[in-house]
Amino acid sequence: MVAYALRRALQALIVLVGVSVIVFTLLQLVPGDPVRVALGTRFDQGTYDALRERSGLDRPLIAQYLSYLGHAATGDLGVSFRSGEPVTTLLLERLPATASLALTALLIALLIAIPLGVLAAVRAGSIWDYAATGISQIGVSVPDFWMGILFILLFSSTFGWLPPSGYEPLFGDPLGWVKHVVMPAAAVGLVSGAILTRFVRSAVLESLGRDYTRTAHSKGLRTGVVVRRHVLRGAMVPIVTVTGLQLASLLGGIIVIEIVFAWPGLGQLTLDAVRGRDYPVVQGSVLLLAATFLVVNLLVDLLYAVLDPRIRLR
Amino acid sequence: MPILKSSRPVSAAILVVLTVAACSTGEGVDTGADSGPASTTLNAAIAAEPDQLDPQKTTAYASFEVLENVFDTLVEPDDKLEMKPALAQSWTTAEDQLSWTFKLRSGVTFHNGDPFDADDVIYSYQRIIKGKLSSSYRFDSVKDVVKVDPTTVRIDLTRPTPNLLANLGSFKGMAIVDEKNVESGQIAKQPVGTGPFAFESYQRGTAITLRANETYWGGAPKIKTVKFGFVKEPSTALANLRGGQVQWTDNIPPAQVSGLLNGSDPTVQSVPSNDYWYFALNEKRKPFNDARVRQAFGWAIDRESIAQAARFGAAQVNQTAIPRTSSWYYDYAPYKQDPARAKALLQQAGVTQLTVDFMATSEYPETVAVAQVMKDQLSKVGITLNIRTEDFASWLADEAAGKFDGFILSWLGNVDPDEFYYSQHSSKGANNYQKFKNPQVDELLEAGRTTVDQARRKQIYDQAAKLIVDQASYVYLYNPNVVQGWSPKLKGYTVRADRAIRFRDASLSN
Repeated sequence: MVAYALRRALQALIVLVGVSVIVFTLLQLVPGDPVRVALGTRFDQGTYDALRERSGLDRPLIAQYLSYLGHAATGDLGVSFRSGEPVTTLLLERLPATASLALTALLIALLIAIPLGVLAAVRAGSIWDYAATGISQIGVSVPDFWMGILFILLFSSTFGWLPPSGYEPLFGDPLGWVKHVVMPAAAVGLVSGAILTRFVRSAVLESLGRDYTRTAHSKGLRTGVVVRRHVLRGAMVPIVTVTGLQLASLLGGIIVIEIVFAWPGLGQLTLDAVRGRDYPVVQGSVLLLAATFLVVNLLVDLLYAVLDPRIRLR
Repeated sequence: MPILKSSRPVSAAILVVLTVAACSTGEGVDTGADSGPASTTLNAAIAAEPDQLDPQKTTAYASFEVLENVFDTLVEPDDKLEMKPALAQSWTTAEDQLSWTFKLRSGVTFHNGDPFDADDVIYSYQRIIKGKLSSSYRFDSVKDVVKVDPTTVRIDLTRPTPNLLANLGSFKGMAIVDEKNVESGQIAKQPVGTGPFAFESYQRGTAITLRANETYWGGAPKIKTVKFGFVKEPSTALANLRGGQVQWTDNIPPAQVSGLLNGSDPTVQSVPSNDYWYFALNEKRKPFNDARVRQAFGWAIDRESIAQAARFGAAQVNQTAIPRTSSWYYDYAPYKQDPARAKALLQQAGVTQLTVDFMATSEYPETVAVAQVMKDQLSKVGITLNIRTEDFASWLADEAAGKFDGFILSWLGNVDPDEFYYSQHSSKGANNYQKFKNPQVDELLEAGRTTVDQARRKQIYDQAAKLIVDQASYVYLYNPNVVQGWSPKLKGYTVRADRAIRFRDASLSN
């Protein structure tokens, strides 16, 4: 298992270099000039040339890329064109906000999806099933930002229970963090939970039809025990897979929700960087996102072996 | 074996880049804040996060909303946008108009305790000139900046510059900075100025906090702390204002403005600004090189309905650039909606069917709204407007490369007529993207730059404006209003035509 993890880490490194090449190339293809955006509308040619030189954009592309890669290898992702700050600093400042929101949202999603999905599958075809699939259909159809705005109207403007926007660090002001995280996490979590509910339902349904489930039933076990011990365990592999994917995409930035709730996360940072053609920040956030996907996938793969002893990691 | 192949991160990463590039919506980051005792802390919500806090380097309005309160310039515009003493107490102009001498205020200190004197003025201006920073064009006519004594600075000029004061004071990018703060590299993050409020802290992505400068030369501010939170979404900003989490914002949903104007909680004001919206046609391309074709656009559109659709009426229609409230206003409005006349002009120019590649930008949804109304109005005279909506970076690149038939945008924060007309309409102007060329306009705009007599200068700009409007170098649409809202607890605050946010004279009651 250790050898497996090491090999995967090496593969991950190669993927990251590949990602950096692709992002770097793609950014050159995106129309728009970072220097012009930074200067706004009013400037003269001398000003333009001076800033271009200061940003290193007058050098050949290959030279730009190689020096970027060289620095990246030591953890230096360059300096933002806009703010002049190290990209690594900018990313690390935003990471806790996004990670804490994404994990809370995922927790809410799972708390909804697992009971609802299992109920729908075990009582397939019943009123419970229709209710669960109906609710999840609504959840899938409602955009999270719209749900977010409704939450603000209801819980902030009407009842005044929760602050409409803002952020407090989890480890600085835990209570403040909870007050601020509830609405955005619920908005994302409900939608995410609706998606997961459908996966849980179909995974459990499939597991219910398996031979081992029939055997468990014929041994005379009660339904509750069969579901907990046999059905759920068999359904876990696909559920963990989808959950991993959901987590990775949530960590990638819940852009619209971050904007609605003024949540200072990675999504906002990336969006601003793309709009301002702040290449170093875009490259840095995409690399971080790719790395997140790789790590989450690796964790999911390692979890398979734990969940299903038949799976060997070599 | 792992189910997921490791190619997924790559495709996902590409997808993210493409999606984000394709659907850029708005700007900024944010938060309202709900901490601090209400009596001394003003929570303000602005629509975006500053990109950096070096006043001489940033070009973002969000940065200037904050920095207006932190930095001073030599002179500054009052409520009527007339230049008044700030760090300079008084000034004299030499007989030949080729040098100005400024007497500086004494006893002023920077927020870090450094004393302010002539060396700071020279350092600040040389930094802009030598570093070719974005404001360097404002020193076009400046030959040298000389220290006469510690409280006197002389500016030597290559030609008479009647708008020197506006150049030095109408924009916070001309702020006087502290050499130590710059050389230590701290200015972008922890700026040090001489203004009414000192920078205190920065919660990245969330808020910037300023504290009152008790030794401010204009008197200590009554509000002791100002916290600028970043709230991108207008409905969220309004919810914050209504809920009392913030006491001031300029981010109010446009559609709700008219409904809020008559209320007192929140107080919302809509005041004519010095900005203007316009569109221009590419005179390097046929048939837009023919003035009659450009004029046809002027006769085809109805500015009132455009302003209504784009700003829900919070705008003053205008056929020239300078707003009614300015002393430079020129009352000239030759066009009105007349489709028959527009068609006749097109016919005279030999144009029957005209399709226009027209650029708008998602950065400013207003451009799209205006273009859509224009499309409808222009279709009635046989002009097809193909609206191309781009994100701002692409838009700017295409504008500079001349890749358009027409485009729409606005100019912000101009005070002097030279700023309103020279760079946009002189054939030597840096922002003449429509490639307008008229020798008479060129001559007038050069003369305006050096004419000292104010009445004569006004005449010159009136003549230039008339030609620009008649030749339709720009087709001017309207001056938008500045809309801001605040809690009734905030007293003594006024909305300014130049959009400067000044909290130094305001107070906050319980």
